[in-house]
Amino acid sequence: MAHATKFTKKKECEVKAIPYEEKKRLVREGKAHWFFPHHIVEQMVICMTIIMIMVTLSTLFPAHLGPMADPFDTPAHIKPEWYFLPAFYTLKFAQYFEFLGAWAPKLLGIVIQGIAVTLLIFVPILDMGGAERRPSRRPIAMILGGVGVFLTLLFGFLGHIA
Amino acid sequence: MEKETLVFGPVKITNKYLIQGFNLINDRFGIKELLDDEVFEKIAPGHLGLWSCFGGISFFIFMMQVVTGLLLMIYYQPNIDVAHASITKIMNEVPFGWLMRGMHAWGANLMIVTILIHMSKIYVSGIYKAPRELNWIVGVHLFLLTTGLAFSGYLLPWTQLAYWATVVGTETPAAVPYIGEYIRYAMRGGEEIGQVTLTRFFAIHVCILPLVTAGAIGAHLVQIRRQGIAGPC
Repeated sequence: MAHATKFTKKKECEVKAIPYEEKKRLVREGKAHWFFPHHIVEQMVICMTIIMIMVTLSTLFPAHLGPMADPFDTPAHIKPEWYFLPAFYTLKFAQYFEFLGAWAPKLLGIVIQGIAVTLLIFVPILDMGGAERRPSRRPIAMILGGVGVFLTLLFGFLGHIA
Repeated sequence: MEKETLVFGPVKITNKYLIQGFNLINDRFGIKELLDDEVFEKIAPGHLGLWSCFGGISFFIFMMQVVTGLLLMIYYQPNIDVAHASITKIMNEVPFGWLMRGMHAWGANLMIVTILIHMSKIYVSGIYKAPRELNWIVGVHLFLLTTGLAFSGYLLPWTQLAYWATVVGTETPAAVPYIGEYIRYAMRGGEEIGQVTLTRFFAIHVCILPLVTAGAIGAHLVQIRRQGIAGPC
């Protein structure tokens, strides 16, 4: 029964070592699916759906091609793609720190981004919550994550309307 | 006399020519065991749910980007005088060129969305915890590589918007103390954005970053295989 309850947390090589009859039983009891054909068909349906979405979007909203670059004509509003808007607004936001000196806006703009990325990279090390995984038992991690998402969305929105 | 049968999980093959053909390969490479372990007698965890699919979806979109990108590369010319015209040609004359470019552009956007969903799921479910700390770190780097691919690919059509977004984008790292000016110089290949910039952005976009990303995806997947699917909380 140990197999039955905990096999999802097993390593690939351990799952492989489960006897075939035992695997059959797991599938019969609904605790697992056969990789072939169940899982493969599932994956194919997902892949086809993604292709369908991409083809539909490309047909209904074709990729835009703006006018050719002109290095002598600076446009009035330069805005990046949506995924760079939070980073873009961070640079604008840093300009509020001009009172600290002429160096501040540019340096802070990149330092804030650097700190955000570094925090994201070291999440597993910074998380002091032990082995607990349930979101309801990790209020601090959830609140900090929520604050991070909120700030990113806020900066993205402010970048959008800037 | 009992008939010879070849069993692949639920599939039973009795046709003797098919069996002979398979044995021809199997006797040389021993693939039967591999196929049983990795395909036909393999089990996958049941009911992982839709939210667990987004890592795989991101990987699939990456592969789609490779395919559509290779097709676009056949017609695209990384030259500031003709780059824009070559994209116009892809959009208007090349059969299904508009579709390949559309899928490549939408794929870039969707890939960032799916990676962010994947990352949120991993964060909320606490899957980054031991023993998977390193895989979270590799994953964040994969996200950064994806934004790098998006940034470098954005300049290639040599449009007004792309040009000036790149001016701002390459200006940003210049604020880094001591080495900032050098980073900007290295990114632009000079003081101004010009042919050299386009050439290196092209090299970065179609060769360097895809290779690095593929390697990082490999490291990501190897760890998943060694550590297993995390399963529900």
